[in-house]
Formats: sequence, structure tokens, C-alpha cells
Amino acid sequence: MKLGVFAIKNLAQHKVRTILTLLSIVAAVAVLFTLLSFNQGYEAALKDQLQQMGVHIMAVPMGCPFESATLILKGGKIPAYLDMSVMEQIDQIDGIQIAAPSLMHGLIRPEEGRTDIFLGIDERMLTLKNWWKIKGSFFKKNNDIILGYNAALVELAEVGDQIYLPEYDKTFNVVGILESTGTQDDGFFYIPLATAQALFGQEHKITHIQIRVKDPAQADAIAGQLQNIDGLSVLTTAELMGTMLSLMGSAKTLIFSIVLIAIVISTLGVLNTVLMSVFERTREIGIMRATGAAKRHIFALIWLETLSLSLIGGTLGIVIALIGAGQIETVIKRFLPIAPQGSIVSLDPGNLLLCLAFILGIGVFAGLYPAYKAATANPIQTLRKE
Amino acid sequence: MITATGITKNYQRGAESFAALKGVSLNINEGDFICLLGPSGAGKTTLLNILGCMDAPADGDLVIAGQKVVTSGRRQLTDAKLDRFRRKHIGFIFTDFFLIPSLTALENVEMPLLWSGKPNRERAKELLASVNMDHRLNHRPTELSGGEMQRVAIARALVNNPRILLADEPTGNLDTKTRDTILDLFDHLNQQGLTIVLATHDHEIAERVTQVVRLNEGRLEG
Ligand SMILES: Nc1ncnc2c1ncn2[C@@H]1O[C@H](COP(=O)(O)OP(=O)(O)OP(=O)(O)O)[C@@H](O)[C@H]1O
Ligand SMILES: [Mg+2]
Repeated sequence: MKLGVFAIKNLAQHKVRTILTLLSIVAAVAVLFTLLSFNQGYEAALKDQLQQMGVHIMAVPMGCPFESATLILKGGKIPAYLDMSVMEQIDQIDGIQIAAPSLMHGLIRPEEGRTDIFLGIDERMLTLKNWWKIKGSFFKKNNDIILGYNAALVELAEVGDQIYLPEYDKTFNVVGILESTGTQDDGFFYIPLATAQALFGQEHKITHIQIRVKDPAQADAIAGQLQNIDGLSVLTTAELMGTMLSLMGSAKTLIFSIVLIAIVISTLGVLNTVLMSVFERTREIGIMRATGAAKRHIFALIWLETLSLSLIGGTLGIVIALIGAGQIETVIKRFLPIAPQGSIVSLDPGNLLLCLAFILGIGVFAGLYPAYKAATANPIQTLRKE
Repeated sequence: MITATGITKNYQRGAESFAALKGVSLNINEGDFICLLGPSGAGKTTLLNILGCMDAPADGDLVIAGQKVVTSGRRQLTDAKLDRFRRKHIGFIFTDFFLIPSLTALENVEMPLLWSGKPNRERAKELLASVNMDHRLNHRPTELSGGEMQRVAIARALVNNPRILLADEPTGNLDTKTRDTILDLFDHLNQQGLTIVLATHDHEIAERVTQVVRLNEGRLEG
């Protein structure tokens, strides 16, 4: 028998208590590990998504560009409009591969508790988003409509169906449905730009222009030129990412505070468990002393018990985090202001080490006091008859 | 083997000091089997604890196996050395057996070897065999009778091969028949050269043992 085996046997003596303490460590470590992985995966996923958008610059009406950009990303309504004439000026700038104008308009559906976002687009959008796969076809008539993947799901619509807008007493024919892109595009209702402008009373107006440049390295320079156009506010995807990351910052701080509290609580839980077991076993500890144990042996034994407890719990926590990463991710995404599609959890050996360090920290810290208490208890007193 | 001279011990009871040992002098030779007889409260446990180096006297000298342990009430060994000395020379046995409930009989006997850093299952088995307990190796203390528990405790006390066995009322919780088997075992161990000090208030035991030392109110009599 080794000292470690003895420690485990002592833990096994109070199964329920040990299991409850283990659970608290498991939970804290699982959450910690997931969040660390998430934190790292998030930036990578966001970058990926913005790159995948194939859009390097977004031009919006003058105003607060960050706010507008965020609104667009979240599918909100943009307060101001640009005149179509800016497109001619934009087309004169060198290095632009494609600039696609759109008019965004939200239709509130209170009875269904949602807002349908209508996007007036033309062929240029199709060129820009060359990764789009449309089941059916692009617009042929001005009352054709294309539905994003999710929009089609919500409307329960198929190609060939009709969609009626009571507000405008207008019927659209569904000519195409977007295959899932995994982006915000899935949620929109696409109609011809000219139809949108007429329908929503915004003749010649657009809400934003998405631009792809020939060389992404030139994006900043081109953005500078665009900035000179009257009434135009420009935002590069790089800036956009910065905005989103800072929005994320506060959410992250909150999440990490919660984890920190969970860790403190589980450390106190371990401390309490071990301390209780030390108090209950004062006599056993006295016996060990009487059979030749030195103070350091007692200290080592109690410390080993605490370490085993936290190591077992921590390892289980990491394993559970690895298995349940997907489920936990869905929960986390709900709390984020902006969540990229795709996996935001990255599994990294560095995080694993950090978690192990945390676990050891819990074990080492929570074990110190009880181990000291046990080692310095007076054995003579504990061995007296009751 | 053990020479104790002028041992005193005081306990603090609230504000006043209570003298539990009032100058005890005792010489124990190698191979002695001594019965420390005295009524309850005489100071037997206190004296055994001091002889076993578990407790320090207020005053007096104590020499064990040629090693000065206490001189004029002052410890002569550091904590670490004293622990090692105890482990090597002294085995303890108690009325309530004091086995560790989470461990089997075998593991209980093996436990003291943990402290010397040399776990040895075979040695533990041998000792359990020598006290006729080899049929209960993997039983927990709760699954053993009182006599069996005390035999396991004796094996445990001997596993580090000490030269002195200190037994505090070892048969206090046993019926007379079991008591006699335990005492037979002590006789047997004593014949093999083990020095034994057995504290009791049971006169029947005193009649069986040749060397009897009487303790009363902290003093040796006769
Ligand atoms: N920690 C203590 N604090 C105060 N008094 C104590 C303490 N330990 C022992 N005493 C007292 O010292 C005296 C001797 O106690 P001790 O336990 O040595 O007696 P004993 O001969 O072993 O008795 P018993 O046969 O009942 O075990 C008793 O009066 C006891 O009350
Ligand atoms: Mg006593």
C-alpha cells in the first residue's frame, strides 16, 4: 500500500460527500475549460467568417458607422439612406472588383413576434456573393422573391409558392431559395432593388454598399478614397471585427467573473470537505502518530487526499468539457451579442495545461490548511477515552 | 532498556495545575514483562505516553535503549529524530484497538511501514500469521470481533520490529476467555525477547504477571 492508495481509501470512506465535492470541481473546471477554448476559438471563427464573406469594405450613410454596421449585421433598420448616384463615383475608384448596393427594410410582424428583413438587391450582389447557391433561379420579373435558407423555413415556402405582403397588398412569386450559407444571409428576403425602392417609397435610395477589392491588402487605401465621397461612411471588415471583439469584451468579462466565482466556491467546497474529514478523523490521525507517523506524514496524507480529489474532479471536468463542447457552445452563443456561425470552440493544449494548473491550484491551496490542522493536532488528546 | 527517574507531569485544569505524576522512577530491563497496576486516574496512561515518547514530562530523566530522550525535563531529540526513534523502538496497543476503519486488517498492519517509507505486504502478512489472524487478512475492522481486532492491533504494533511494547488496558474491552488468549500471546512475545509494559486496573492480570508495579495517585508504591 502506498500513501496515495491510503488517501484514496479515505476519500472512498465517505462516498456521497466525496462525490458531491467532485461534482463541484467537475462543473467549475468544465466551464473554465470550455470558456478558455471558446475565447480562443471566437476570434479565429470571427475572422474566418468575415473573410468568407468576401466583403472587404462596407459603405454606409454618414453617421455613426460602427453603429450602422452593427445594425446591419444584426439585421436592423438603418435610419439614413444613400443616393444611387454614389455608385457611379465608387465605380471610378481603381482596385474595386465589385460593389453591390442594397436597400434594407424591416417589416415588423408583431403577431409572429419577429421582423422580416427585406433586402433589395441586383445582379451585382450575385457577383459579390459568388458562393451563393440558389435552388431555383435569380429574379426574372420585378415581383420575384428569393428567400434565405432560414427565411424559407420560417415561411414554409417552396420555389413556385407565393408570398403576400398585406401592408403593400403585393404578392411575390418565390423563384429561388438560398442554400444554407451559415451566415446572416440565410435570414433575409431578397427582392429586386428597383422593386424594393418603389415598394418602400425610397426611389433611388440604398442603405448600404458591400465592396470586394481586388487585393485585400489594398482595402485600407481604397477605404480612404471612398471616405472622400460625400455622405459616405466607410468601414473595413478589419475595423468591423475590432468593434465586434470589443462588444464581446464586456460579455467575456461577465462570463469570466462567473467562472472565477465558481472556482472560488469549489475551492472553498474542497477546503470544507477536507477540513470536515480531518475533524472527524482526529482520533485516526492520533493513531497514525502513535504508530510512528511524523507530522509531515500526516500533512502529506491530507494534502494527497485534497490533491487526488481535485485532480480526479478536474480531469473528469475536462473530459466532460471535451465531450460536451458542442452543447456548451450553443449555450454560450446565446449570451453573446454577436456570434459567428460555425464552431467557436478551439481545443488547445495550452488551455489544457492552464486548466490543469487551476486544478492543481485548487488542490494545493484547499489542502494546505486542513493538512496543517491535522499535522499539528495533539495526538495524546485525541487518543484519550471519551 | 528503560530508565525513568523523577518523572513528573502536570495537567492544567482551568486555572489550577493538577499533578498526574509526582516523581515516578522506574527501571525496566530488556525482556521484562511488567504490569503497571493502578486504579482509574492513577496516571497509568500518562506514564505510558511519556515512556512511549508521545508526551513530554515536566521534569525528570528518561533514557530508552541507551538514548537520552529527556534530561531534567528537557527533550534531547528533535521532532524528526524523536519520531524515528519512536517508530523504531516502541509499539503501542490501546483498549479500544484503534484500527483505521477504512483499511483492511492487512492494510492496518502495513500502515506503520508507510511512515518508515518501506511498505511491505509480506511482512504484514507474516505478522498477522504470527497472531493467528491470517484467515482475516481482507476484513475491515467492523467485520472483526474484539479479540480479533486486538490481535490485528498487536500485529500492527510489532510490524516495525520494536523492542518495547506498551499496552494500555489492552483487554479492557474483552471477555475473560479472549483476554486470556491475548495475555498468552503477550507471554509468547515476551519469551521471544520483547519488553512489555502493560497498564491495567485488573488484579487478575496482575496475578498472572510476575513483575507488578503499583501506581497510585501519581506515585509508585512498594
Ligand atoms: N489532558 C488532561 N487534562 C487534565 N487532566 C488530565 C488530562 N489527562 C489526564 N488527566 C488527569 O490525570 C490523571 C491521570 O490520568 P490517566 O489517564 O493517566 O489515568 P489512568 O491511570 O490511565 O486512568 P484510567 O485507568 O481511567 O485510564 C487523572 O486524574 C486525569 O483526570
Ligand atoms: Mg488510562
